[in-house]
Amino acid sequence: MEAIANPRITCVYLNSYVGKNVIIVGKVIQLRGDEALIDADGNITAHLNREAHLSAGNGVQIIGKVNPDLSIKVLSSLDLGTGVDYNLANSVVEISHQHRNLFSYD
Amino acid sequence: MAAVLWVHLSKAARAARESFADDTLRPVTIKQLVDCKEAYPSAELAIDGMPTTQVTLIGQIRAVNPQAINITYRIDDGTGLIDVKKWIDADKGETTPRFGVDTYVRVYGRLQSFNGKRHVGAHYIRAIDDFNEVNYHLLEATYVHLCLTKGTSADGQPQQQGGGGMDTGGDSMFVDGGYGAGGVGDSAGMQARLSPCSRNARTVFNFLANSAPGDGAHLNQVASGTGLSVRDIMSATEELLGHGLIYTTEDDETWAILEC
Repeated sequence: MEAIANPRITCVYLNSYVGKNVIIVGKVIQLRGDEALIDADGNITAHLNREAHLSAGNGVQIIGKVNPDLSIKVLSSLDLGTGVDYNLANSVVEISHQHRNLFSYD
Repeated sequence: MAAVLWVHLSKAARAARESFADDTLRPVTIKQLVDCKEAYPSAELAIDGMPTTQVTLIGQIRAVNPQAINITYRIDDGTGLIDVKKWIDADKGETTPRFGVDTYVRVYGRLQSFNGKRHVGAHYIRAIDDFNEVNYHLLEATYVHLCLTKGTSADGQPQQQGGGGMDTGGDSMFVDGGYGAGGVGDSAGMQARLSPCSRNARTVFNFLANSAPGDGAHLNQVASGTGLSVRDIMSATEELLGHGLIYTTEDDETWAILEC
């Protein structure tokens, strides 16, 4: 089967994933037109697509490509509401990098 | 006579283990399902050496392909993609819920391999309301993987128990009974010495500690108590003897805990 995996990352991992597709779970800090500032263990700028429906203060999962300037070109986004445990999400990112054999192909 | 009894015992143990694999609900990432291999052609699929049939997974629906008798969902959890087939129950007709693209769902089902292609036959699919369930599931899948490959350190060691009916895979967060939980030898020091041992060795050790602290237990007792095969017990006791945790008493097949 095709090896399509989108690693889960936070802000600190952006550097290692330039040009790759990733999943980021974070909190929407600010919306400016088609740009959003997202906090995932650090602030990330996301360039939204047309279909994005985010609201400031809510959690969001974005899947997108990491640009060379470490912003994200969003391919798909999902509003997660307000009940998201961000510490849990960040722990999952750490765990998924410690146990790569369960989570990613490389 | 003894040999006949042995064969019988190990057969029973094996049968118990087969049904155990069938009754165990294991949380997995999709990558584990994509990666897992048969031990030999047409054997059961195994993850981390544990035969695995019943699985639970989470993921986002990427494609929906409705057919006359089933709906195939292509599900993505960020680690891989797999097809999940939900058979349509003719009696229920229209009430079978359908899920849209991008919805996060939890799937309970059977891992199946057909013509070399793998899919999950879903017993049940439901939408995930609380996103934290996604993260929780990924942690649980990792936890079960680590328990099976490395064992756990001190408390609440999930153990494989053939006939015990303890659900190691699915209910792993809460397994605390049986031979998994320590007994007489449950001091911190003992647990530390036990930590490099395999799962089977711990099971045997804890059985000995719980059931026969003084006089030791014979192979047959250990086999019926733990549900392990004779061969597994022999290698487990070999390991424990090597670590100086048990000793042989009346004969080579009766062991007791070496108290320290």
